[in-house]
Amino acid sequence: MKEIRLATKILKTTIKDRIQYPDRLVVDTIGVIARCGILLILYWYVFKLNNGVINGTTFLFAVWSIFFYFSFSVLRLRDISREIMKDIQTGNVEVLFSKPISYLSYRMWWQVGSGIYSFIVITLLAVVALVFIIGLPSTMTIGIFIPTLILTFLCGTILSLFLYTIVGLLSFWIEDINPVFWVVDKAVMILGGSYLPVALFPAFMLKIAMWSPFGASQFVTHTVYETWQINWYQLVGIQLFWIVLLGLIVYFMFESTKKKVSVNGG
Amino acid sequence: MMKELYFAIYAIKKNIQSSAELRTSFLINIFGMAVNNSAFIILWGFFVQSVGVIGGWTVADIIGLQGFIALCYGIVFSMAAGIRKLAEYTASGAFDRFMLSPKNLLVRIATSSFGVSAIGDIVFGIVCLGIFAFLIHATIYQVLLMALLVIISTVVFLAAAIAIYSTSFFFTDASSVTGSLFELFMTPSMFHGGAFQGVMRFIFTFAIPSLLIGALPVEIVRDISLGKLLLVGVLAIFWFAVSINIFSRAVKKYESSNFITFGS
Repeated sequence: MKEIRLATKILKTTIKDRIQYPDRLVVDTIGVIARCGILLILYWYVFKLNNGVINGTTFLFAVWSIFFYFSFSVLRLRDISREIMKDIQTGNVEVLFSKPISYLSYRMWWQVGSGIYSFIVITLLAVVALVFIIGLPSTMTIGIFIPTLILTFLCGTILSLFLYTIVGLLSFWIEDINPVFWVVDKAVMILGGSYLPVALFPAFMLKIAMWSPFGASQFVTHTVYETWQINWYQLVGIQLFWIVLLGLIVYFMFESTKKKVSVNGG
Repeated sequence: MMKELYFAIYAIKKNIQSSAELRTSFLINIFGMAVNNSAFIILWGFFVQSVGVIGGWTVADIIGLQGFIALCYGIVFSMAAGIRKLAEYTASGAFDRFMLSPKNLLVRIATSSFGVSAIGDIVFGIVCLGIFAFLIHATIYQVLLMALLVIISTVVFLAAAIAIYSTSFFFTDASSVTGSLFELFMTPSMFHGGAFQGVMRFIFTFAIPSLLIGALPVEIVRDISLGKLLLVGVLAIFWFAVSINIFSRAVKKYESSNFITFGS
């Protein structure tokens, strides 16, 4: 009950803050246009050159897959690593540890809350624009699509939070986590299907994307393809496996970090 | 002019010495950035493998593109990393101390900070350009052309950075605005150059100079195109003049001592 109250309070506060100061929304919108918008125009040209089909995939599927990646990235879950590092470097972690709340819960809910407003606004607007401009693939109109999309989105969110929290918690041992963050972040970017949609992956890369936590955190990009209807439960199963494993790693890492912090107060 | 140059070199030297004090962090940052950059080669390499050759661009060209971009990014944001902090300086009132300095304002700001990880970009860029030269069997003439183009693209990159971060003077909390504008300039420059055709190529050459720092230099070296070299050279001078002008005008918007504190 206490956890739910904490989550609700943090979400409410951060969403109100984002509505009051819409800078982040502007930034995220320009970011999505700069990355996703230009990329889609380029892919339109590339598919046109290849008579509309590459690797058995059409432009329509590629667009939605890429869009799901960039839409998910608007949540900025990856920023949790740097927030944790900042807390440790500034000593703020000492203050937060002395509060009667779970530090990691606070950080995770804060991260979700700070990105959710931009995510909802940009995703809704972009979905409407994409439906009108290029249309919906048939795979997105079948009954199973929405429930499984929500399921894999939630699992992807939890998995991303755990993955980047592990990177953030490394700050207790190493001075600067940025190099580790870059490597993990780029692994997610490559295997998640950002600039290269998963349908265009070579076979071995698709396997790595399926079985690694980096690719699994972005399974939302797989939902638009026809193969999703056949293997969605397998992919969600992989996500659940990584959630449990990374969750345990986060737990044990956090337990050992507690021993490294000395709260001096005052 | 020479005096300013000596000052810049002195400030950069001191910045490097200061950063190298934390040796492990220094080296890990350089290595991490080099690994980070290779992600784009992997991505666009697979893209070429799946999609085929587009606009005459092969994997070698992608490597060359990443080399040019990493190198000019690394040179600017290692030695002149202070430009990136303009928003922070103006918002916090720290800009006052630069105004009071007898040195050239822009040089003073640019050399006020040093980006350690950008050294990794420089290393990565040199390696990529070496591989690019090897893969295209570059002649001495092409290698010299590459060296010249690194200088030109660095000037364009520096100009773009000055122009973008000068907008810090026009907004209350400009870090998010400058971040977005920089992304709008930087992201397309890392995309597959062959896919930019027609209107897109025009926009990202003349309106937003993204292609000037990577895609066009690669094509110039590959095709030994003197017409394009002239175009890039002229645009580099134009953008540099424009950026200095924007900076000079923007600085006039700054109000000194905009923070009232009671000391500590």
